[in-house]
Amino acid sequence: MKILVAVKQVAFLDDEFEMRDDGRDVDADFFEKDLNEFDHFSVEEAMLIKEAAGDAAEVVIAIIGDEDADDALRTALAKGADRGIRVWDEALADADGVAVARVLAKVVEREKPDMVFTGAQSADFGSAVTGMALAGLLGWPHTAVVCNLDYAPGAGTATIRRELEGGLEEIMTIRCPAVLSIQLGINQPRYASLRGIKQAKQKPVDELSLDDLGLSAAEVVPAARVRRMYAPERGKAELITGSAAEQAARLAEIIKELRGM
Amino acid sequence: MAELLVIAAQRQGELRPSTLEAIAAANGIRQPGDTLAVAIVAADPQSLVGALSVDGVDEVIAVKATDDFQPDLTEAVILALAAARKPAVIAAAHGVDAWSFVPAAAVKLGCGLATDVQALRREDGELVATRAGYAEKVLVDLDFPGKSTVLLTIRTNVFEPAAGTGAPRVTEMAAPAADVATTHQGWKPPADAGGIDIPGSEFILSIGRGVGDESNVEQFLELAEEMGATLGCSRPIADNGWLPKARQVGQSGQLAASCRLYVAMGVSGSVQHQWGMKHVETIVAVNTDPEASIFSIARYGIVGDMFEIAEELKGHF
Amino acid sequence: MANTGSAYDILFTPIKIGPKTLKNRFYQVPHCIGAGTNYPGFQMAHRGLKAEGGWGAINTEQCSIHPECDDSLRITARIWDEGDMRNLRPMVDHIHQHGALAGCELFYGGPHAPGLETRTISRGPNQYNSDFATVPGCPGFTYNHMADEDEIDRLQQHYVNAALRARDTGYDIVDVYGAHAYGPMQWLNPYYNTRTDKYGGSFENRARFWIETLERIRKAVGNDVALVTRCSIDTLYGDAGVEVGEDGLKFIELASPYLDMWNVNIGDITEWGEDAGPSRFYRIGHQNEWIRHIKQATNKPVVAVGRYYDPEKMLEVINTGVVDIIGAARPSIADPFMPNKIREGRFEDIRTCIGCNVCISRWEMGGVPFICTQNATAGEEYRRGWHPEKFEPAKSDKDVLVVGAGPAGSECARVLMERGYTVHLVDARDKIGGYVNDVATLPGLGEWGYHRDYREIQLNKLVKKNKQSQIALGQKRMTADDVLNYGAARVVIATGAHWSPIGLNHRTQKPIPGADASLPHVLTPEQVFEGKKPVGKRVMIINYDPYYMAPSLAEKFARAGHEVTIASVGGVGAYMEYTLEGPNTHRMLHELDITILGETGCSRIEPGRVELFSIYGEGSKRQYKGSGQLPRKENDSHHWHECDTVILITSRRSNDSLFRELKARKSEWAKNGIDNVFVIGDAEAPRIIADATFDGHRLAREIEDESPQHQKPFKREQKVWGVAYNPGENPELEWRL
Repeated sequence: MKILVAVKQVAFLDDEFEMRDDGRDVDADFFEKDLNEFDHFSVEEAMLIKEAAGDAAEVVIAIIGDEDADDALRTALAKGADRGIRVWDEALADADGVAVARVLAKVVEREKPDMVFTGAQSADFGSAVTGMALAGLLGWPHTAVVCNLDYAPGAGTATIRRELEGGLEEIMTIRCPAVLSIQLGINQPRYASLRGIKQAKQKPVDELSLDDLGLSAAEVVPAARVRRMYAPERGKAELITGSAAEQAARLAEIIKELRGM
Repeated sequence: MAELLVIAAQRQGELRPSTLEAIAAANGIRQPGDTLAVAIVAADPQSLVGALSVDGVDEVIAVKATDDFQPDLTEAVILALAAARKPAVIAAAHGVDAWSFVPAAAVKLGCGLATDVQALRREDGELVATRAGYAEKVLVDLDFPGKSTVLLTIRTNVFEPAAGTGAPRVTEMAAPAADVATTHQGWKPPADAGGIDIPGSEFILSIGRGVGDESNVEQFLELAEEMGATLGCSRPIADNGWLPKARQVGQSGQLAASCRLYVAMGVSGSVQHQWGMKHVETIVAVNTDPEASIFSIARYGIVGDMFEIAEELKGHF
Repeated sequence: MANTGSAYDILFTPIKIGPKTLKNRFYQVPHCIGAGTNYPGFQMAHRGLKAEGGWGAINTEQCSIHPECDDSLRITARIWDEGDMRNLRPMVDHIHQHGALAGCELFYGGPHAPGLETRTISRGPNQYNSDFATVPGCPGFTYNHMADEDEIDRLQQHYVNAALRARDTGYDIVDVYGAHAYGPMQWLNPYYNTRTDKYGGSFENRARFWIETLERIRKAVGNDVALVTRCSIDTLYGDAGVEVGEDGLKFIELASPYLDMWNVNIGDITEWGEDAGPSRFYRIGHQNEWIRHIKQATNKPVVAVGRYYDPEKMLEVINTGVVDIIGAARPSIADPFMPNKIREGRFEDIRTCIGCNVCISRWEMGGVPFICTQNATAGEEYRRGWHPEKFEPAKSDKDVLVVGAGPAGSECARVLMERGYTVHLVDARDKIGGYVNDVATLPGLGEWGYHRDYREIQLNKLVKKNKQSQIALGQKRMTADDVLNYGAARVVIATGAHWSPIGLNHRTQKPIPGADASLPHVLTPEQVFEGKKPVGKRVMIINYDPYYMAPSLAEKFARAGHEVTIASVGGVGAYMEYTLEGPNTHRMLHELDITILGETGCSRIEPGRVELFSIYGEGSKRQYKGSGQLPRKENDSHHWHECDTVILITSRRSNDSLFRELKARKSEWAKNGIDNVFVIGDAEAPRIIADATFDGHRLAREIEDESPQHQKPFKREQKVWGVAYNPGENPELEWRL
């Protein structure tokens, strides 16, 4: 029994930042990197299943990224996952969710897990693509934004709830193996202990290239190209003047306009 | 001449209103001679044709199947329509349902893909989609070189929903064969609807130290309710216990994650408070102090007394 | 520094004060620290640090001009002789090293300084006894002597001589202290001055002493120093004293030509909490209704205070012409680097003054070295070598588990992380701050939450710098097994304390019979904070605590419509007399119709009633009656008092079971890789927030020292035997025979 959890190292920007010279990304100097918040929940969900199975299940963490991404991978391993896989190739520098999914599909073929989890989205770009694109490539059952999971290791089906707009949840059964994208709040992610962090440093991590997975650079092109990236313009406040009655009337107008009232 | 295809979303037999926004977005990039078709999968798709008969829709493709959401079925519909019609653009609202099927359909089609798109246009004939990045701190313009089909999900509450009345052609389409791996089992309604939800609120009226005294808070709760806003507050108000912590916006409180309109009254705009709300698209600041830092991040500013403005506002809702 | 195009440039624009130039608008007004001339190293390091942190000018505390003004037992500065000048000079030099101006506040207290060491009698416009508690708890204790014209001349010459000594010490600014009912204010204020000669009666006559004094000083020092006077422009007792619209503004106009700058505030000494307003009652800029008029009456720069910690407010008061320069005492203690942080745009790094006035309490209670709740390094600069912004790098790679994120734990974790240690901070609550999270919900104490907020913001920044460090909130309470298995080399237990649920108290060191907070009608403060137990209409607070908990909970319940009685063995909120919260707290208790039963203990609690007694109900006569017998007659004052809910504010006890179990399992430490386990803050012994914070800070600084659980000796400043204080003195014992 094996669960593969695909995680991402996300980047946050400092308060002030500058663009890269080619205008297609932010200068990497202004990045602050961390394990995607959603992935804390997907890793925890895998750990809960592993622990419920009396540790008979193996939890494997997969990440696409350069050496920098080791931090995020070790963060996930420190919570108790068994081993890691990190795939990197310069050709993946502009990878989007689709390109990452193509790599992960090869990892899944190699690992043959019984279940695959991803975060529902990444905290930096929020594309919500990787997990479900991976399912599409694998031809596996899949559902996004899972907020509750009832799954006995090795079972042929799982019962899930997916979180819909307005707090409504849908209960469904899904055939397994499946790819599920995990929503925040599905569980209470654990913190790693210092022992866990120390042990994570010793845990096996397979470092793979595209070659190792039998992929060529041409197979991992993104589904969209960044034409440009820029900071949205923010102006000074437009002052609403007049008497209090006039100011309030204009404010009411703005509210109604924006609220479609 | 190209076809634009919108995948409608329904839940429990009711059209998701965001579908009309996706239609509007597709319509916005329409070129002369283009046609716009909307596909709807439902138990009784004919019953939804009326709601989809809005300006710009030339055709409704009615797929009679089930009201249950089945990503596998929706993907099969998209694949079948794509094969038959070679649409230039396939759009859907960026709702939770689309999250399940859009990326899977995209890789099966090998098409272009952009999700959570907030603006669409053509530059020199090329389709360019804009979305946010790095937690909304930047905007990204995406294009799709070499892609004859592009799948897009459209951010909700950005595009004005398509309206008007059209007379689209209705085409019935048999549900394609699909290996459906999910089975609907039931619903779980939202928890306590009276709960305060700052992160989930699109419209927040927030009060700060300017409110002065606990006894003044009640009138703003009433005003917020009248306006359909969630009442938020700055740290001192929560610290004083005048409002529950769940209403506090800012670094030590809540992030107004879904907010699109933020009216800040008597909030000076400390760095901590701004953390929770400065990303909001439309901020209106009401403050007696013209130098309050809130004005530097606000789109609209009113230098004035929050109580007077609040009193006057009541008459408008 | 000006003209960087920032909105804050005005705060960094130099301004002339007479012959001197203040490099920016940050002015540390005179404030006591407990150093005086007794602790020159303390004085030098504390004030000098503020110069390093960007303050444009830094003043002494009140600095006595002559032995006739002796503030003992409170420790304040003196500039009586060459010995004092020598002890003050390091402060001046240290300030000058950082390009700031040094100021000396010339202090003559009149009968508000008790003369306990010198046994002198002060001179004043009339004879009166001080309304201030010169001896803590004893207003009315100290008298003065009415000065005739010879004495007036002599007193004014004391000022001149002191000003010259200040100049010769190197001070750039001399401030004639006439606020807080001190010195020349007693002459201006008709409350004290009822003379009928040319120094009394009309405004001009009452102002004469002050004006003449300024004239004489100016004549003596010329333009060597900037001459300032600190003036209370309204004494806040209507036409019985100085009012801003009357004598206040008139005096500003009259005295301006003699001065280079005004340093203004409101109030007197007896209620100087109206000036140094505690956050419980007063917000930032609270004096501005009075201060805003001053600039109409003078063309000299104006500095004023108002607990300015928010750069936005500073801009507002400068841009709207309330003041020219931001004066600060408490905010400069909480964050000596505030000006630099504002200049660098690091607003979130400002250690905001919470307005608890614990700094002031130390002077009020009798002048022990001051402390600060927010800034654990305040007062520790010289004697322990603690810099508030700089830390000794980690001396080992031993990681630390800190259990408990209250004041001690969060401060300990913060400083350890600043030093570069890998730290895991764990707490059961969802928020850093521990007990402060509760305290900050009490009426008026919201700003105390700044203590938590500073640590929360800093810790969150620090964990980003070291990915191995972690803050784990909302965790289940750690057991000894959890700690042993955690994998930390060092463990710090900061699990706080709790109020006794059985009424343990300092008068019996035993529980109060019937006190049991597991019963529905008996609550501890923690249970009040939890809000789960219903509270009846008639609330009885059994109070054995000297600080804020009883008045705060009384206020909370009275405002919620309950009938509240406090039965208190000691004065309700007695310590709050020292934090200057006392007078308004008593007014508030009165306003809310809260009944106070003083000198009252509790002997039994039953559903619906409590048995109370006068703590002086035993006979005054002591008599030996044999073993097993009290040597006094039995207390016959017991009586029952009906109530619905009892709140027990008795003793606190450490939450030390985790620490004690870990100590008991010391044999298991080594195999789990644990070097040492420490206990800090309230978990070691309950104390005020300032001291818990200090303890966490101390352990983090001293964790590599020998026996870190126990405080390292500090550098002491005491007169050294055999060395003369003043040149030419013989340090040996000389009988005058």
